[in-house]
Amino acid sequence: MENVKSRAKEKWLVIVVFMFVPLLLLLVFTYVPFFKMVEFSLYKMKYIGPRTFVGLKNYADVFSRGECFRSLFVSVYYMAGAIIQLGLALFLATMLVFRTKGSGIFKGAMFFPYLICGIAIGFIFKFFYARGFVLDSFLQMLGIKLEDIPLWLEEENINNISLAATSVWRYTGQNMILFLGAMMSVDTDLYEASDLDGANKWHQFRYIILPSIKSIVVLNLILSISGSLSAFEPPYVITNGAWGTGTYFVIMNRLAHENQKVGLACAMAIVLLAIIVACTVAQNLFFKYAFDDGTADESKAAARKRKKAEKEAKKAAKGGR
Amino acid sequence: MKKKLLSLGLVTTMVFSLAACGGNGGSGGGGASSDIPTIDEITVGEDYQELEAEIKVLTNRTDIVDTVYKGYADEFMKLYPNIKVEYEGITDYEETLKLRLTTGDWGDLCFIPTSVSKSELSTYFTKLGDFDTLDPVYQYVQEKTFEGEVYGIANGGTARGVIYNKKIWEEAGITELPTTPEEFLEDLKTIQDKTDAIPLYTNFGAGWTMGAWDDYIDLTATGDPDFRNNMPHTKDPFAKRDDMTGPYAVYYTLYESVARGLIEESPSSTDWESSKRRLNEGEIATMVLGSWAVEQCKEAGSTPDDVGYMPFPITVDGTMFAGSGGNYGFGINNQADEDNQIAAMVYLKWLLEESSIYTDEGSIPALKDQPLPDALEDFTDTEIISNNAAPEGEDDLFDEVNDESEVGINKDDFPDGEILEYALKGEKTLDEIMDEWNQKWSDAQESLGVEVNR
Repeated sequence: MENVKSRAKEKWLVIVVFMFVPLLLLLVFTYVPFFKMVEFSLYKMKYIGPRTFVGLKNYADVFSRGECFRSLFVSVYYMAGAIIQLGLALFLATMLVFRTKGSGIFKGAMFFPYLICGIAIGFIFKFFYARGFVLDSFLQMLGIKLEDIPLWLEEENINNISLAATSVWRYTGQNMILFLGAMMSVDTDLYEASDLDGANKWHQFRYIILPSIKSIVVLNLILSISGSLSAFEPPYVITNGAWGTGTYFVIMNRLAHENQKVGLACAMAIVLLAIIVACTVAQNLFFKYAFDDGTADESKAAARKRKKAEKEAKKAAKGGR
Repeated sequence: MKKKLLSLGLVTTMVFSLAACGGNGGSGGGGASSDIPTIDEITVGEDYQELEAEIKVLTNRTDIVDTVYKGYADEFMKLYPNIKVEYEGITDYEETLKLRLTTGDWGDLCFIPTSVSKSELSTYFTKLGDFDTLDPVYQYVQEKTFEGEVYGIANGGTARGVIYNKKIWEEAGITELPTTPEEFLEDLKTIQDKTDAIPLYTNFGAGWTMGAWDDYIDLTATGDPDFRNNMPHTKDPFAKRDDMTGPYAVYYTLYESVARGLIEESPSSTDWESSKRRLNEGEIATMVLGSWAVEQCKEAGSTPDDVGYMPFPITVDGTMFAGSGGNYGFGINNQADEDNQIAAMVYLKWLLEESSIYTDEGSIPALKDQPLPDALEDFTDTEIISNNAAPEGEDDLFDEVNDESEVGINKDDFPDGEILEYALKGEKTLDEIMDEWNQKWSDAQESLGVEVNR
């Protein structure tokens, strides 16, 4: 008896000791700064100097300033980009999962952009899109006259697409690798069996691969959508938010750093957090009802039945005690 | 037990050495006020020939610290063989110095970091003299003066005008430099018609180059050394004036040159590094930047003699003005040994008055009676002025109103960029933009409770 007790104690000790460091790091570098930010958002303040408490005025300002929410529409371009990017990544991953020649090289080449830092990518594309540089000369080689080529960064019907394309370029490879990893875990016997049944590659993709990697697709979609709400590097580096390319983050950055309105920028950050949380929850609900929770092998009806049974069993167990 | 004793011993030693450090610093600081002369009392080449010292000078110019700056030190050491001058170049100067200054043990002479506010100057630096004595002799001393005492002297300064390619302007048949925004715009048009050069290159893509237009709105556009100090109290500072002066005239020049198609084709595709060469070689006719950029443009291409610098085309009551401001100021460590402080001051005076540093850097000399650098030869009829010190208690007022309004004068490049955008797309007239800025300025004055009396 004594022995068991001390074992339990020891277990707790081990748990506490091992958890202490990561929890401390989490607390110090994530939660404390976060709550500090919430606190800052209630003040009118600069980085240095005195602060005045203004309550919720900063939040009211966020909602009354037209430019804050208008900038969210720019994110729609990045969301559309995110969907294209997922489709592309799925396609490429599927190609690679059926033993392609030189797949290692392709994987490396396509993953490579993700390894470059965002600022550097910005500079790469600044020159890529610049008048008379890479893209323009390429199109001219194809016989298109320079006058017919749009100004990729200035014309407002196209510049956000140009910028969103850079983030598609950057993240497609990374998504592809994630998908590929999930696809590798699919039992290859299934392909053989389906081959014998006369399934083509599309059927294999639709009925074998996609169901098995559904959860990772959903996860990537959620990450990409919240990522596009907080797009920052391409517009900041390439156009500095000019010509109507300023995303929410670019505007927030300008208020905080150039105009020293730290409180207001903090309020903007929290409003954006709320929007992202809302979007994520909405997406989750959508996927739950449109498909299922993305992890189940069984059908939705069967899952519901099983859950109900489990619940009842639990209840019964409780009652029994 | 043994271990414990040992550690106790260690701790005691450490405590004592700490105390010793403190003591040293204290006595050094106390010595500051005793026998150190002011800079005006020193005669270079005669005084302190017997003084023996080794001084260390800190600089941010890592590119030339071992060549040009070392050359100055060698030249000085010929004059004063007993004083040994050693330079140390520091990358990330501002941040490093902020930390090193507080230790008191950083060297003897440095560029005063901009983060040191005026009230802190006496904590770190030796008094160089009284404002009233030094002001007639040196430029920009007001920038490093606190309560009538000068703690730093600027390493020369820069003036604000317009860089242009002389050959292109001549080719277009322009013999007289423009004196009003309208003349300037007509000249740009002539250049466009008669030459292949881009009349005005905005460098929009770099961002800060648009912010550079803000440099002209106070001194250059008004000729009033107090304009900037008064701006927080001014009602509608951006309003149009009948004689085409003031901030409106500066932004008018920008707006109209864009609206009349006198700039580069694709502003977002500009590249600052190559633009210097292109101006030098005549692909670009004009750029609106401070005089510090002249040397860089000269070095960037094969025809340095074509690079010229002209005053910004605004005339106030028949006079053209050019705003100017000091570069980094030199300061002497007041925690150093007395001999070192004196040696540093001798070297500083020699550097300011005898060395070739201002000719080499193309900047306005620290001495008021020395001639302007060659780069400013077109400025003979132009009055070069600098801002007066802010009235007492209002040191931060301009920044406060500026930040609150989000007009971002000299801080945020974006509003200046917007002028270009609106002009290019024809979405808003300049009057509409300036009305908005005035409105923002008034709102900021109101919310900060600043008295508006002008």
